[in-house]
This record gives sequence, structure tokens and C-alpha cells, in this order.
Amino acid sequence: MKPTPIAVFLAFVVALFLILPLIAVVPVSFTPARFLSMPTDVWSLRHYQALLDNPAWLQSIWLSLRIGILSSVIATLLALMFSLGIWMFRPWFGSLLFGFVLLPMVAPPVVSAITLYFFLTTLSKMNDIVAYDTWVGVAVAHAVMIAPFAVVMITVALAQVDRRIDLAARGFGASVSQRVFKVILPNIKFGIFTAFFLSFVLSWEEIGVTLFITSVDAVTLPRMMWMGLRDNIDPAIAAISVILIGIVISVILVKTAVTFKLSRRT
Amino acid sequence: MKSDRLKPALLLSPLVLFLGLAYLVPFLGVMQWSVTLPEPGFGQYGKAVTDPLIQSVFFRTFRICLIVTVCAVAAAYTIAYVWVRGTPAQRLVTELCILIPFWISVLTRAFGWVALLSNRGLINTWLQAAGIISEPLTMVRNEFGVVLGMMHFLIPFAVFPIASAMRSLDERVFLAARGMGASRLRIFWSIFVPMTMPGILGAGLMVFVFALGFFITPAILGGGRSVMIAELIYLRLFQSPDWGLGAAISVILMLIVGALLILMLRLVRPNKMLG
Amino acid sequence: MQSGHEAAEITANGIGKAYGDFHALRDISLTIGSGEFLTLLGPSGSGKSTFLMILAGFETPTSGTLRKNGADITAVPAEKRAFGMVFQGYALFPHMTVEQNIAFPLQVQRRADADIKRSVDRIIDRVGLRGHEKKRPAGLSGGQQQRVALARALVFEPSVLLLDEPFSALDKNLRSSMQEEVRRLHQETGTTFVFVTHDQSEALALSTRIGIFNQGQLQQIGTPKDVYERPANRFVAEFLGDVNFLSLSSVKATADGAEGLFEGHPMRICAPGQSVSEHFAIRPEHMVMFEQAPAEGNMLKAEIGDITYLGAETRFGLKTSGGIDLVLQMPTREVKSAFQPGRQVWAGWPANQGFFL
Repeated sequence: MKPTPIAVFLAFVVALFLILPLIAVVPVSFTPARFLSMPTDVWSLRHYQALLDNPAWLQSIWLSLRIGILSSVIATLLALMFSLGIWMFRPWFGSLLFGFVLLPMVAPPVVSAITLYFFLTTLSKMNDIVAYDTWVGVAVAHAVMIAPFAVVMITVALAQVDRRIDLAARGFGASVSQRVFKVILPNIKFGIFTAFFLSFVLSWEEIGVTLFITSVDAVTLPRMMWMGLRDNIDPAIAAISVILIGIVISVILVKTAVTFKLSRRT
Repeated sequence: MKSDRLKPALLLSPLVLFLGLAYLVPFLGVMQWSVTLPEPGFGQYGKAVTDPLIQSVFFRTFRICLIVTVCAVAAAYTIAYVWVRGTPAQRLVTELCILIPFWISVLTRAFGWVALLSNRGLINTWLQAAGIISEPLTMVRNEFGVVLGMMHFLIPFAVFPIASAMRSLDERVFLAARGMGASRLRIFWSIFVPMTMPGILGAGLMVFVFALGFFITPAILGGGRSVMIAELIYLRLFQSPDWGLGAAISVILMLIVGALLILMLRLVRPNKMLG
Repeated sequence: MQSGHEAAEITANGIGKAYGDFHALRDISLTIGSGEFLTLLGPSGSGKSTFLMILAGFETPTSGTLRKNGADITAVPAEKRAFGMVFQGYALFPHMTVEQNIAFPLQVQRRADADIKRSVDRIIDRVGLRGHEKKRPAGLSGGQQQRVALARALVFEPSVLLLDEPFSALDKNLRSSMQEEVRRLHQETGTTFVFVTHDQSEALALSTRIGIFNQGQLQQIGTPKDVYERPANRFVAEFLGDVNFLSLSSVKATADGAEGLFEGHPMRICAPGQSVSEHFAIRPEHMVMFEQAPAEGNMLKAEIGDITYLGAETRFGLKTSGGIDLVLQMPTREVKSAFQPGRQVWAGWPANQGFFL
């Protein structure tokens, strides 16, 4: 049952709705004015130049990269161990634990934000490394927020694995570590990579919690953008947005092209 | 058989301990705030329920979430239908239009709406240049902007459960219905829609739950004029330090979301949502 | 194969498995002789696969004990039992080549590399996989995957090989050639084979003995001929093939069997060792059709109903004068042109055919 022309038309209206705000950012980023506006006659690169000239932007990008990598390494590693434990041993309290680790994902972000604010300010009284407004503190908080997503991705990947190959390995006398490293991990490599990638992107973009747990030192890229958005809107936000949108589009296009090519080959 | 219990524990405990210490314990701390600050007792809860300002924010939040949910699910159903059942070219275009916004951050997307709708934005500039309007239309920093921005954020999330429900349908059911002489419209409304209802309900509840805790989009597109519950919590904590009240509202929000999630688990089996 | 391990004898004593109130298995006791080919046969949900999982050590029984060569292995986990196993759907490691799949059990046992290479090489020749060593399972046909699974389970010379419905995914021709292959491997290795299937003809063709399961209980265990021709109960009789039931009257035991009447015809049944009852049963292919009453043996008069042509055999629906429906099956080349629907004929069988239930 193919969609009727009316259905296709309506779907394209929705598609346009989804894409239009992303397109609108492009001309705004080339405005010569100091305020948010459409360029009239002259298209200017001054706001892109501003990104390079202002060290705060580059610092925030570097900070977000560090936080993203640390938090996604923590989250992916813990999630991998957890999901393997559930999959391999199927403990009777497994679904209870599963529900518990998904809490940060399903709770309203603002509730998680206060919770992590409480967590980090309490820790601040004990140390300076994992604390309020430090990069490690933000990375730990991000790891809390993204770990459930990593658990979901890895669990989905494990669900595709034929349980009998694990049984077969056990039957041949394989130990737990041999089962994990020789049999299970090679079959969920792609799922682990996806979980890591998604974790990184989620941390890279995170703003809801970050707003609560940072102030002047740990200014991540989203936090930097937030500051430029709240008061008089800085067109440099448009320039950085165009760059971020460009990165996402190229990654998706490359991925689509690769899958298309692969599907043609087989 | 001691090692048989030890090995699962070694694998499971790191994440459980991590989230226990960094999430569960602090959340209990927040709950403690709600009954101890500024003075012990349930006074903050009483205030959160009776204060007319807070009531109106709750009311507005529910109203906006309801509108956003209905619109976002309808839009998601439309695009998911073509994504799942369209020609290869239609599928490719819709897929890109779903995935690209999905991977772009909430800030960038909210900013996109500002760039599109603000007084000197794309739409107002074009309409003025074309001579259709003389004064710019006010489309952001009000509820209209908030609803559009939230819809834009939530449509891709609603698409996935709906599309997965549509994909799981057996094509032969439609062939059978056609064989019995049913019209396309009739097949769509009496077979396709009811059979994808679990996906619709799942998507709707998920969107509603997400929307309830929304913070960034309303803050940017509402411009302080259309405050929703999450932003209210932020303001109570950081602008008019009123920790107890902020914590109490958070606990109430958590309870509402928890109730909705239980409802969701009853209505849709979670493995269906994951596709 | 030079036997690294001797074939083992397995004894199950009172094995039961309960999930809450549901009893998947009740009180299973049997001995699997060293070097035997035992088939566990039964419909799906009969408990045969659960029993295999208990033998393998993937499940622990809730009651009873399991012994291997006399030693109690009830609590020994699968990893330590090291029985070879061939799974339904093969369970090959998708990320490994044929060679790597087969080498896996040996690597787990930390054998020397040269030793592993030699054993893998030998078994690849033995199961006819030469030329496919570097392929992944996804690039193999169903039959080849089956061979890899067998090779992988046999390469470490296990004392027991367990096979869980290994042929269920193969088509009929491939299935019979793989059956021959398995029988050959059993003879060559001398290992104890325990084979699970729901296909009775497969069970009859392959096994030295068959254990028949139903509703979690072992109904009967015996040689194929035993269970087919002397089934212990109605379930076994019907599960293994078609059967006609005749209610006899005036039954009295004799020295080597019993005598009785069926619709007025005298019946003499020679069934030493069976307990006599009025429920007599006979398989369709054990009866012979005559145009005239035969001179000797048991016989009854019936009218031909429908005729079904099955190729080598032909099947007749008969109705006795008392209105009982029977089925008779005979080689097609022995069917006479007179055997047409509506025709009155005689169905007869020698006294030593048939059994009491």
C-alpha cells in the first residue's frame, strides 16, 4: 500500500518544518551586522572570524571535547560491563536493576540537574577535582546522564546475538573472560562503537544539566552558546551553529552513502 | 559455587554503585531539602500546590505539553508513514529530514527557530521585502514560538516508535483487505491506524513525558514570558534562592513523570518501543 | 580418531526439573551406555530438550542425580563437563572462519598450536570441508554449516556428544545424507551420542536405543524395533506411527499369548512377556489384504473405503462389518486390481504381529 499523493505532500510539509530552522541559520551567520539579522547586500565572514579570534570559543570547544571523551569512556565501559552481566547471567533481579540504571534517562532533565548539582556541591566540600564547576565534575555528571543510553544501545546489540553461541562456548569449557573477549565482544563491536559515539554526542550537546553544575570555569561549548543566546543574541552563535550543522550533515551523508553502497553490493 | 555469584556481581556492581552514589543518594538529598529548607515540614509542598503563580505555571505546562504532544505525534505519523512505505527516493529524503535534526543539539535547533522567526529573521525579512507586511510579526518570545520549538525537538523521537510499529505490520493483511474489496481510505483507517495504535500511544506518552521536563527550548523561545515548570525550578534555585520550594516542585514533577511512565509500561511493552 | 577420551557412560537417576509449579521433567531415570547412540524423541514441550540441557550442564535439575562413569556430576557446570554439543541452528561463531570455529574448543583447553593445527586439519578432511577453511559461516550452505558444527563438537574428542535437533533446518535430501554422515562419525569415533529429535523416522533410522518423552516423563526406552513393535503405551504406539486399535472380547491368556474374539472372528495372539488385555493393536503395514479368507492366521472381514497412493506404498481405509475404521498399508506392487472401493476383502496377519496396550 503506497502512500497517496496527499500523504506524500503532508509528509514533505513536515520534512520542511524539520529542516527549515536549520536552513535559516545559514544566511544569518553571514550578516555584517553586530546583531541578529539577515544580510541585505553584503555577506560577511566576520562572525566566523570572531570564533577564531575569541579564545573563549576555542577553549570551550577543547573543554567539551575533553569532557565528551572522558564521560563517554566512563559511561560506555560501565554500561558494557553492566549489560554483559545482565545478558550472560540473567539474574532474577535483572529487570529491577535495569529499571534503576535507566532512571537518569527517564527522569525530567531538570530533576537530574538538581540532583547532580547536589552531588557535585557536596563533593566540592571534600575535593577540588570532582567538584562543582570543574571539568572532571562535569564529565562525571555527564557520565551519569549518558550511561543509560549506552546501556540501551549495548543491550539492543546483545539482543541480536544468538545466545546459543555463548552456550556453545560454555559447552567447550570456555571461562567467563574467554566467552566475553573471544565470543561476545567480537559480535557486538559495532554496537559498542555506536554506544560510544552516541554517548560522546550526548555529552558534547548536553546543556540542561551543565547549566546547573557550572558557572565561570567549566564553560562548555553549549554553555558558551547559551550565554550568547540569552541576552543580546550574538550572531557568532549562528556561525558556530552552521559549523555544527555542517558536521552532522556530512557525517549522516557519508553514513547514508556507505550503507547505500553496501546494500547495492550485496 | 562462590565464583558463580561473584562474576555477575563484578560486572553489574560498578554501574549500579556509580549511579547509586552519584544519582540515587543525591536525589534523596534533594528530597531532604524539600522538607527541611527553609524550615522542617511539608510547608513547601503546601505552597507548591496552593500558590496561584505556581499553579498557573503547572497549568500552562500541561496545556503546552498537550498541544505539543498531539501536534508532534500527528506530524510524526505523517512523515513516518512515507518513511516506511514510500518509494526509495521518498524514503531517503524523509530519512535525512528525520535524522539530521535528531543529531543536532537542542540549543542549535532552538536558535534556528530564533533565526527563522525573530523580528529580523528569515520569515519577517522576506515578508517585508515582498511587501506583504509592514511591521514584523511577533513569533518568538511567546507561547507560539515555544510550541513550534518543542514540536521540532520532539517529532524525531515520536517517529521511531511509530515507524517501528508500522514496520512490524504484515503486508499480507493489506492484500487480504484489498482482496475483500476494501478501499485504500478504509484500509488506512480501519486496519493500518488501529494496528499501529501501540506505537501511537507509546510515542504520545513518551513525547508528553519529555515535554513536561522541557527547559532549554521554552527558556530560549519563550523569553521569560511563557515559563514552564522546569524553568520555574531553575529560577527558584538560582535567581530567587528558594531551595526548599525548588526541590519540592522537582519531587512533584518526578512523581507525575513516574506515574506516566508506569502507565506507559502498562500500555506498551517496552521492547516494542526499542524496535 | 585416536580416542583421547574414552566414551563415557551416563546414568541419570530420578532427574526432575520444575519451574515454579510447572514440572518440565519428572523422575527421569536411564542409563546411556558407553558408545551408544541414544535418541531422545518426543513432541515439542515434552521435556527432551530440557533433559539434554541438563545432560550438557546448562541447566541444573531440581531433583535427582547425574553420574558419569559412576562419578556424580550433577553440580558440575557445563564449562567443566566439556561434552561436545551440536546446537539447533548450529550456533557457529559468526565472526570466526571455519578453521577458527573448529580450533576454538582446543584453544580453550590451551593445547599447543602445532597440536591444534594437526587436529583441525584432520577433522576438516574427515567431515569434507577441505577448501572452505577460510570462509565464514555466513558464506556456507546449510549442510556445510552443519559439518562445521559437527567438526567443532568432535575435534576435542569429547567423551559424550550431544546433538539438539541438528537437522531441523535442512531439506529432506540433505537431511538423509547428513544422517548417514552422523552415523558414520558415530561408528568411527565410538563416542557416546545423545541425539534429540521430534522426527520419529530419523530416530528409528539412527539410534541404537530410543527414549520417548511426553509431558516431562520418560514413556519408554528401548531399541527401535522394541519401541515400534512393543510400545509400552498408547502414546508411544501412536507417536511412532499409525496404529489400529481392536477391542477384543472373551480374552483369555494362553501359554505364549492370548485368545479372544473380534466381531465374532477368533483371534490368537502370540505375544510372550506382554501383559494381556482386551486392547489389541496392530500397525497398518503388518496387515495383509486378501480377496478370499486366508487359510491361517488372524483375519477379519472388511469393506474398502478410500485408497491413498503414496508411491512405494498404498494405503487403504477399511470398515469392518462392525463399523470400525481401520487402516492397512501395503507395497504398491502387491496391490491387486480387484482392490477397489466398496469391495469386500479380508485383512489378515500372523499371530506374532501386534501388541497389547
